[in-house]
Amino acid sequence: MKTAFEKTQSKQRAYTIPFSYETLSFPFPPELQRQSPLMLPEISEIDLTRHFANLAERNMGIDTNFYPLGSCTMKLNPRVNEVAAALPGFARTHPLAPDETVQGNLQIIDELIGFLCKLCGMTAGTLTPNAGAQGEFTGIHMIAAYHRQKGDQDRTEILIPDNAHGTNPATAAMAGFKTITIPTNAQGDMNLDDLRKAVSKRTAGLMLTNPNTLGLFSPVISEICKIVHDVGGFLYYDGANLNSIMNIARPGDMGFDVMHINLHKTFSTPHGGGGPGSGPVLCNEILKPFLPVPQVYKDKSGYHVKWDEPNSIGQVAPFHGNFGIYLRAYLYAKLHGNFGLRKISEVAVLNANYLKSKMGQFFAIPFPQTCMHEFVVQADRFLDKGVRAADIAKRMLDYGVHAPTVYFPLIIKECMLIEPTESESKATLDHFIQIIEAIVNEINADPFNVFNAPQSTPVSRLDEVRAAKQPILKHTLVQPF
Amino acid sequence: MKYTESHEWIENGQENIVRIGVTQYAQKELGDIVYVELPTTGRDINAGQELAVLESTKAAADVYSPATGTIVEVNSKLTDHPELINQSPEDSGWIVKIKVSNPAELDLLMDRQGYDQFLNGK
Amino acid sequence: MDFISNKSPQIAAMLSEIGLDGIDDLFSSIPSDLRIRGPETDDGLSEYEGLRLMEELAVKNTFSSYENYLGAGAYEHHVPALVSSITSKSEFLTSYTPYQAEASQGMLQAIFEFQSAICALTGMDVANASVYDGASACAEAILMAFRHHKNRNKVLIGQSLNPRYGAVIKTYLQCLDYNIVTIPFTKDGGVDLDFIRKEADHTTAAILLQNPNYFGVLDDVRASFEIAKKESIICIVCADPIVYGICPSAKELLADIAVGDCQPLGLPLEFGGPYAGYMACRQDLVRQLPGRIAGETVDTHGERGFVLTLQAREQHIRREKATSNICTNQALASLASLVTILWYGKEGMKELAMANYQRAAYLKSRLQKINGILISHGRTTFNEFVAEFKMPLDKVIKHFQKNGIQPGVSLNNNSLLIAVTEVKSLQQLDRYVKVAQEVA
Repeated sequence: MKTAFEKTQSKQRAYTIPFSYETLSFPFPPELQRQSPLMLPEISEIDLTRHFANLAERNMGIDTNFYPLGSCTMKLNPRVNEVAAALPGFARTHPLAPDETVQGNLQIIDELIGFLCKLCGMTAGTLTPNAGAQGEFTGIHMIAAYHRQKGDQDRTEILIPDNAHGTNPATAAMAGFKTITIPTNAQGDMNLDDLRKAVSKRTAGLMLTNPNTLGLFSPVISEICKIVHDVGGFLYYDGANLNSIMNIARPGDMGFDVMHINLHKTFSTPHGGGGPGSGPVLCNEILKPFLPVPQVYKDKSGYHVKWDEPNSIGQVAPFHGNFGIYLRAYLYAKLHGNFGLRKISEVAVLNANYLKSKMGQFFAIPFPQTCMHEFVVQADRFLDKGVRAADIAKRMLDYGVHAPTVYFPLIIKECMLIEPTESESKATLDHFIQIIEAIVNEINADPFNVFNAPQSTPVSRLDEVRAAKQPILKHTLVQPF
Repeated sequence: MKYTESHEWIENGQENIVRIGVTQYAQKELGDIVYVELPTTGRDINAGQELAVLESTKAAADVYSPATGTIVEVNSKLTDHPELINQSPEDSGWIVKIKVSNPAELDLLMDRQGYDQFLNGK
Repeated sequence: MDFISNKSPQIAAMLSEIGLDGIDDLFSSIPSDLRIRGPETDDGLSEYEGLRLMEELAVKNTFSSYENYLGAGAYEHHVPALVSSITSKSEFLTSYTPYQAEASQGMLQAIFEFQSAICALTGMDVANASVYDGASACAEAILMAFRHHKNRNKVLIGQSLNPRYGAVIKTYLQCLDYNIVTIPFTKDGGVDLDFIRKEADHTTAAILLQNPNYFGVLDDVRASFEIAKKESIICIVCADPIVYGICPSAKELLADIAVGDCQPLGLPLEFGGPYAGYMACRQDLVRQLPGRIAGETVDTHGERGFVLTLQAREQHIRREKATSNICTNQALASLASLVTILWYGKEGMKELAMANYQRAAYLKSRLQKINGILISHGRTTFNEFVAEFKMPLDKVIKHFQKNGIQPGVSLNNNSLLIAVTEVKSLQQLDRYVKVAQEVA
């Protein structure tokens, strides 16, 4: 399919400029003028409309396909959230508007933080981090600021399990920490002896997801937190898997000091093809002073914004973060209430265990115990036929299902991480099992179609090696001269 | 040739200049290599320090120096043809040449037999 | 309400097939002292009640009933109607990061086109798929420069950079051992070139200037970068992308990295987000560029396709050695900006930029004639400028507000930072002048 840059037709246009009949002719200094031509295409409104409609047809989404992408929580993005977010009373508010003119916005911020704190067993929080990774960034910087304030210069290490999401060590590095990796044991949990050996006075903190990226809840989580607290370190909770424990267990009770939530996972804000997300951070009393600004507070006269706090780590976003995103999460939380959120976790975990119980006949299940909202299968039994997890994933696309996460976590060979979410009905899950069965039968009979998958998508398997070795990263208009 | 547990090979040459690359096993594990981050010549390097980075589409692997010394030459062909490492990892896909300061370090490394045993144990 | 499909019949059947007695058995791995009792009664809302609640909250916001002259990094522009009809399409709205490229060609091509559009505007060689916002784009660009110049630890940042961007940069550099040196601005609002001459040395990794700067002033970026280049300092320019419609491209300004926020293109104010930061750079810096990048390739039949590429820079592969921890980009927001850039196109971007300039120049020239109002900077401004008032600022603002106008962002020296975009008619601007005359 052509790109927009290949659809240019001279003098065609879609735009209008307001009040163009009002001629103003203030001179614009020639030395400040652009010399190089502006090489953007010229396209009419209908061609533009069609261009993007055609692009949309070449894309899978939750609305169109089952999307069991482990670690991503691809639940339904309710349209009621979209309707609310588009209300002009929200869309047209400037982030620096006087407090008294945006009381609705400030109320949403204050109430949502309060709601999330109660849900997670925390005391205070911020909605300004723009994504989970930025939430991690915020929390780790808060921990660093605490140690700095105490004059504790030796806290140079962050402990991270080997099954952690890549953002965890990347975040630690961005904050100047050294990463110490803790191995996962054969039961899929953290080995307490390994942890005891790794902690020291250099430990600034431990980053953990619980349930972890294998979908397993650590029964010894309180002990893990105690071991780190005993050496003066903090516990950071990566909230990516919160969908499994809402109003069933709380990170604050487990011993975590600071955490983030991925609103685009747990709270259904749309993934939008890769963003925008929102990664609110919640914390306990000890770390509260270090929360970023701006902050919203309430007094007798209403809601107010403050941009200064003596011990704050500063700003992580220029304004209030992705307001338009957490606005949707607010409504989602209100519609469900705490009652509904608990039901979400119950059915998310049920759906995952239901799928897992059926998968054992097709794949190795490295951890047979009850899983939480997601689980891991190993697709290595077909390696003798040359078929890998990547091939199975591609073949699923031909059957109209988006593939699960593959090759994460890194510690499991030919790994597939499957997360159905609570959105999906039993019929969809049963159909998915039928698809798996069909693919496995194909592999056993003749894997030709699996090797050559996908065939029914707009393009067949793409050459990623070529893309990396001979990068073509843009199109340009050809010079008209 | 000697071998390390992180799958580097090291071949002795004249005047304490050794050639270093990664093994057949390593290139198979990585898959198609699309980019090689080479060090600058003249740099001093310690044993165990990162020497180069090999990138595939799905992974990035560090190449560690098996010995202490100074980098005297890099295989600049790899800039435009990183696939040389996949095609001939233990010969024309060599990565750097180091003038070693302590040749005795190499005696501690595995020989071919030891490396093969190590691989079989995996 | 909830959106859970399975109800008692399915739940019972599934529990039975797994061989469990009840839902609670699913959570047996959670120690009992951590289990909490769930709420007994349904405290949720119906869809209708939820929407009514949001409408009531929206109405508590009175801001949209005023004429808005606030800028300072977030601007009121026309958002083409086409934008929301495209970004609300199921396949864009509800898809995830295009890791399975064959199922995500729509989004990948959109990202590729976004990268292309940013390169066309800035004149740079490559661009990424966007980062969170202009502030983090600045911070990430500085980190790029430090990676490029491993042995340098100083960065020069214009004092006329948006202070909220400056605050975010400070947070990003907080735990790292780097030295931020602030370049003062002169009385006319432009950067102090002598200061740059003195400070730009071989310990400096980067210089960052905003253009137009925080005060709306079109600055001496090229002259500054010429000085910096003598020491191979990485030159970073942060710009409102609309300005490239009439002003020199980042490339013409000798920039190595061009960053900024796409909010002015297709993204509503939305109380501060979601916006989208853009980052574009010279070809030889591409491996240091953080974030996702889409590239063109072919499939097994030789058909054109798009994939995420150069992924070995990213966190899911490099982990602690990644160029950044960034995972999410602002995909849907960058799609909105792409649609907007294409809606305007080659001629439209020029006219849009010129309309912004003209309308701001009009207001500025009329305010200039009022006794009691002083235009702070003599240099050419784009769509924002600073006006100093003789009357106490809170009285000025109150009077404007009484007349249904939010006149601008307060600055320290009894001044307002006033933004004027293409959406202000002459009638509205004349009314601003009339109200201003009353508080002169």
